[in-house]
Amino acid sequence: MPKSARGEEPLLPKGFKRLTPLVADWVLADSRARLEKRLTTPPAEIRAFYDQMLGFAPKALAYLAQRQLGELDAAEERLLKLLLSLAEMGPAVEWYGTGEYPDGFDARRFRLIEQMPDNAPQGVSA
Amino acid sequence: MNAKEKITAPTFAARYPELGTGPVSTDAYCDPAFYDRELAAIFKRTWLCVGRVEQAPKAGDFFQKALPTFGYSVIVARARDQQLRAFYNVCQHRGNHVELRQRGHCVGFTCPFHGWTYGLDGKLVGVPDAGGFFDLDKGKLGLRQLALDVWEGFIFVNMDEKPSQTLEEAMGEQGRDLVGYPFASGQAVFEYEGTINCNWKSMIDSFCETYHVPVLHRHSVKDTLAGPDNPYGRLIDCRLKGPHRTQSVWGNMAYTPNPVQGLAWQNAPGPAVTSGVVDASVTLPKGLNETRAKHWSLDVTVFFPNWIIVMGSGMYFTHQMWPLAANKVVWQMRGFLRPASNAAQRFGQENSMVELRDAVLEDCNTLERIQTAQDEGLITEMVYHDHEIALRHQYQVVKQWVEDFEQSNKKKGKGAR
Repeated sequence: MPKSARGEEPLLPKGFKRLTPLVADWVLADSRARLEKRLTTPPAEIRAFYDQMLGFAPKALAYLAQRQLGELDAAEERLLKLLLSLAEMGPAVEWYGTGEYPDGFDARRFRLIEQMPDNAPQGVSA
Repeated sequence: MNAKEKITAPTFAARYPELGTGPVSTDAYCDPAFYDRELAAIFKRTWLCVGRVEQAPKAGDFFQKALPTFGYSVIVARARDQQLRAFYNVCQHRGNHVELRQRGHCVGFTCPFHGWTYGLDGKLVGVPDAGGFFDLDKGKLGLRQLALDVWEGFIFVNMDEKPSQTLEEAMGEQGRDLVGYPFASGQAVFEYEGTINCNWKSMIDSFCETYHVPVLHRHSVKDTLAGPDNPYGRLIDCRLKGPHRTQSVWGNMAYTPNPVQGLAWQNAPGPAVTSGVVDASVTLPKGLNETRAKHWSLDVTVFFPNWIIVMGSGMYFTHQMWPLAANKVVWQMRGFLRPASNAAQRFGQENSMVELRDAVLEDCNTLERIQTAQDEGLITEMVYHDHEIALRHQYQVVKQWVEDFEQSNKKKGKGAR
């Protein structure tokens, strides 16, 4: 793991430093946590996250396209998790313009009883 | 798609005149007595999907599947002889569960009550202090087994001790027409579950007509599954095959994705079902996009009674309905995505999952309102569009199935229940 000038491990891979302020709020445990974040975050904050992430997303995806799940270091995993939060917030902005569902069926009434791990090898296609 | 390919309107009522065109009663959707008849005639004697072979690939592997309709769960286990078997998770001593884990690998099952042990083949192998029992016949006290069979890697069970049809017979032409689809490639799996206050058939209905897409789903999939060339969300095709049915759903190939959605589609292990992109490397089975329409997005196939597969060329997902009452259902949606070949594709997978969930959430308030209106007698008949023929078909199939079962019981001199 490369160290910064001050000897601290960077939170994100090189080239993504400007996303560092997002790490504390938007690197989340799993898919369940991301939905909860969407449901509890004011629309303007979701929009701000969306706008900041979207500019970096093509570059971040190109970076991660060279990496394999299960082999990411901690900084790379954070970058992936920021993208996964963007995947959850995308429809909130692009479909609804808010974190809430119009005609509000409570999203918590759907339980995600099995989820895809964020960063684990997924085997090969049959 | 260009204007010349503009969708035509096959007249399904003309293709299936036996279904009629008149209003359809809501009775089967809200009558508790009819619900009891459905359980006896349908759910206790049809093949019900409980999982896939990949969930228990090796000898010693097992998983549990809860059957909310019945309140109990079954264990599916692969024994040393490589055979898959299904058992009620019920100890034959006093009725406790013999396995508490949802999945795992073991040499057998030990009841956590008094320690009775069973082999992976269900045979009773150990009884602590067996000498204290009277005339204990271990050979008769194995785990109660259910009929099990496999179709295209999907494991089905049947509670009828002597099923009236084999699984192959039950899947019939609809099953044969989907053989060869790469179901096993869906190794990245997620599952949602929800309890919705509506009839189980209403929830199936909501996935079987796209007339509602431009309106109810106006925020989400309106411009992908409908669009300027198909403003009313007409189906490409609907085929009824015995008690099963398939809808081929139109896709707007001129659609420009939203920014995040577009990145997700570019970074996905296979085309999203709403992307209008067909993976040319996949040989579609005969029964998928059967008319070979160019502007196709996905097929919705309903296998009677309670299992739906929604298939595109690059991913698929299933819905399963487990009724709890005439006006309550447990719905399960299981997504099967291709494995990510790099870390960026995990982003596409997540977005596919989220979009699916969001689109289904849009259906649910409506379903509960419909149920209230039916329960309160505020609507007693439904007037169906030609492209809602699947709803008409489901109603008639269910009614017929119940009546046939009761008639056959009468002939045998038994009660209807």
